[in-house]
Amino acid sequence: MTPGATKKAVHSDPNKRLRVVAVMLSIAFATLVVQLWRLQIVHGSEYFDKAKNNRLREVRLRAPRGIIYGRDEHVILADNRAACDLVLVPVDCAGVEKQVCMRLEDLVGINGDALEKRIEEYRRRPFTQLLVRQDLSMTELTSIEEFNYVLPGVFVVQRPQRRYVYGRTGGQILGWLNEIDGDELERKPKYALGDLIGRAGVELVYEPLLKGTNGYMIVSRYAAGEVQMRGGVPGPLDQALTDQFGRQVEVEETLAPEWGQSVSLTIDVALQAKAEALLEGERGAIAVLDADTGEALALASAPGYDPNVFLIAHRTEDRQRLRELLEDPDKRMRNRCYHEHYPPGSVFKLVVAVAALEEGLIDESTSFYCPGHFDLGDTTWGCWHAHGHIKTVDAIAYSCDVFFYNVGKQLGIEKINEWAARMGLGEFSGIDLPLEEKGLIPSPEWKERAFADLDRWNRAWQPGDTINVAIGQGATVITPLQAAVMAAAIVNGGKRVRPYVNQELGPQASDSYISQRTLELVQRGMRKCVDKQDPPSGTGRFAHIDGMAILGKTGTAQVVSQDLYEDLSEEKTPYEWRAHAWFVAGVQDRRPRIAVCVLVEHGLHGSTAAAPLAREIIAFFYAKRAPDYAVLAKVENAP
Amino acid sequence: MMKPVYDFDLRDARIRTFTVRNLGHLDWFIVGFVFSLAAIGLATLHSASMSGLQAAPRYDLRQAVWLCVGLIAAGAIICTDHRFMLSLAPLMYVGALALLTVVLILGIEARGGQSWLRLGPFRFQPSEVAKIALVYMLAWYFTKAGRRIRKLRFLLLAFAIAAMPCLFVVKQNDLGTALTFLPVVFAMLFVAGCRRRHLFLVALLGAVSLYAAWPHLKEHHRERVLAFIDPAREQPKGKDYRYHQIQSKITVGSGRMKGKGFGQGTQTHLNYLPEYHTDFIFSLLAEEGGFIGAALVVGLFMALLLRALALARTCPEPSGSLVIAGCVTVLAVHAFANIAITIGLMPVIGLPLPFLSYGGSFYLTTMMCVGAVLNAPIRKGYFTG
Repeated sequence: MTPGATKKAVHSDPNKRLRVVAVMLSIAFATLVVQLWRLQIVHGSEYFDKAKNNRLREVRLRAPRGIIYGRDEHVILADNRAACDLVLVPVDCAGVEKQVCMRLEDLVGINGDALEKRIEEYRRRPFTQLLVRQDLSMTELTSIEEFNYVLPGVFVVQRPQRRYVYGRTGGQILGWLNEIDGDELERKPKYALGDLIGRAGVELVYEPLLKGTNGYMIVSRYAAGEVQMRGGVPGPLDQALTDQFGRQVEVEETLAPEWGQSVSLTIDVALQAKAEALLEGERGAIAVLDADTGEALALASAPGYDPNVFLIAHRTEDRQRLRELLEDPDKRMRNRCYHEHYPPGSVFKLVVAVAALEEGLIDESTSFYCPGHFDLGDTTWGCWHAHGHIKTVDAIAYSCDVFFYNVGKQLGIEKINEWAARMGLGEFSGIDLPLEEKGLIPSPEWKERAFADLDRWNRAWQPGDTINVAIGQGATVITPLQAAVMAAAIVNGGKRVRPYVNQELGPQASDSYISQRTLELVQRGMRKCVDKQDPPSGTGRFAHIDGMAILGKTGTAQVVSQDLYEDLSEEKTPYEWRAHAWFVAGVQDRRPRIAVCVLVEHGLHGSTAAAPLAREIIAFFYAKRAPDYAVLAKVENAP
Repeated sequence: MMKPVYDFDLRDARIRTFTVRNLGHLDWFIVGFVFSLAAIGLATLHSASMSGLQAAPRYDLRQAVWLCVGLIAAGAIICTDHRFMLSLAPLMYVGALALLTVVLILGIEARGGQSWLRLGPFRFQPSEVAKIALVYMLAWYFTKAGRRIRKLRFLLLAFAIAAMPCLFVVKQNDLGTALTFLPVVFAMLFVAGCRRRHLFLVALLGAVSLYAAWPHLKEHHRERVLAFIDPAREQPKGKDYRYHQIQSKITVGSGRMKGKGFGQGTQTHLNYLPEYHTDFIFSLLAEEGGFIGAALVVGLFMALLLRALALARTCPEPSGSLVIAGCVTVLAVHAFANIAITIGLMPVIGLPLPFLSYGGSFYLTTMMCVGAVLNAPIRKGYFTG
């Protein structure tokens, strides 16, 4: 054999070649073991965590908002109820979408074609829960349950829904909620998509308290599984936790949501309802304070709105409705008690009287002659009546303009400003509600600033300006709440109270800043204003209640120059030109003592439009010491 | 020295085409490995059947039926004389081609490929049986060719033999199966004793033709390969070709050393990894059995295949070695490629794992391979031992 032949034979020896195959095979399979080692042992923990993250999913448990109570513990103004939403999972009704949509159109009145289109849009993501209808009524719920067997893929999902129990009553105080938007979400870590956030009133101010803390549930889920909460039965939300295959989802860990803290308001809902009922058909405000503590018993404003509307509608409709409300010429979103200001008219005379008495300019016997007009330079100011010789008490009771023109002129604008500020006019009252208006008491500095573009003569303070301010005209504006705070001071012995709606805050009042002598005189004037029934009667006679010591002061604030409508009868005066009607009142001889301010926009006369409302309020408040819920029956309730 | 007389069984002296006596001459190591793997396979499938998905089919029970069918087929092959089997090779080959033609015309589509034939209640994949036919055909051909295989044209003819069923399978859109044919030819050619430089040439040609075929591949095949090469590659909208690969690695890796326990696999049972009862069953095994279970199975495969190769050397005739080499390659390619895919060493192409993946036709093929491996070394008409 040649060496070459041997070599060839060796090379083609099948046994050797089989051995080569065996070696290669061993190498290949050893590679597999090495890679397994790498994956399972070296990086095993990383992959284990990845697998865990894969399957575990956090389901957020939304914290129910805190309850808002009324003044009495058993009165709930805002709570949460179980709302049932109708959802559809396209994958479960594949093939019969059309029939399902048509049936839903019959049962709950949605647009079947539109729903079919939406299902078509979600063709690629058939496990998505489509929201068909929010907040089913009980009738709809029963009919859905009844036809359950022909509605594959249609489910009822439950969630907590805010409810304003008395609807429109106190709506502006409670405020409203809507879903938090994207920008806010980034700034507020406590919130999650879809959370509701307070936008006005108590809901806004006490948002941090009411919000609560969302909980979560860590569940194990299927790759395509969307965790759903199903079941139309009100009850704990985590009871019916399944995914769309109807499989019970395994809960690994739960952190129960924390309810928001409840807030107890000082608002007496019956009184609030009564006040709103009194303002029915008008635009105006009624503020009722506890004169000693500053508790707001009622802050009625008309026209109002029902905060429930923001919760029931779908988001886009929500915005539409919100826009309508915001652009509403009636300004129904604003609580006129503190969110709007008005010229105070004769109500302001109380400030001038207190200031002059305290400064020692006048006393009980001071008398001015009222010929029915007042001349200063070339200008003449009128009085509504020629009162003749009139003294301090009567000037308050009969609201003599000329008396206060004289007093104001002597007092000077600085003193008026000082005392107005002390009594809380033109200053924030400090109420714990948002968007409070400050009002304005004109001063030389203010005029200089406000008319900076006019020539020197026109922006300089004139003696006539002081005359205007003295009777609460000119640029003077205050809020009804400020007027109520002022009235409270006169009732409670000269203490300025801070009004508030959250009982937790507790009363806060200044030391008495009005001397007893002054108070006594002003109170006598205000009593006479209400109590003097026989002619010449006081301007506040329509607020009189037999056997009650009611203090009162009317105000009739012109909104346009009197020259415009001098020749017109009252009926013919355009609505916008009519004077605002004011009445501030206080009750001395009952406990708790209350201070009331009534404002009727363009009500013509404080005496006839506002004073009777104050009388009703006072009568109602003291007639019932337990709330009269018959009044509340008139109020439309939330669903 | 004379062999002891009692080793000679007179009844074997007469060579029979078919005799159950062959069952007494099995290699019990191989039988042991096969039954171990089959048992692990059934257990894994039992776990797969426990999935929470509504009405998960009882894969384990169905697979047990196929195991019985496979055992009968393997037994039949074992009992048949090897040389007779070999003489049937051209018939098997033509028959397989005929079935593949039928499937192209009458086949039903499933899982993206038209490779199934409906036989009453059964669905049957002729391409699987074609593998066995090809092994026997090549063994037959190499035996006939003898040393002429060292000439290039005989070698090319061998490729032509393999190319025929391969083209049919490609036509059926079953790229994975088609790709297993090539290593089989390659390994058998090598064992048959062809020139090495010819093999290198062929390998080169294969690489060139793969490059040429690249643009004609289906998009999802291309994308999967590209995703494997470059995991950061931007995926087309709405599809992620990396999903299987990523999830499979997570599944395997999360098993760690001891695994999550029988029936406790989260990745698989919660459907993060689809196809966990077929092509990705090894992931399920590795997740629930951990490194211990996975390495055990890899080890069993290795032991089985190496033992089979060792048997190849004891074959009374060269054709037996060739058949064993072919069958070992079929099993090895499937086992290696499948596991390599699940652990991220190869791009995702659909290939089943012998003994574990659910699927009747392939189980049948696997058992027939085992039968052929056990059959080839049995000596008849010789002194045993």
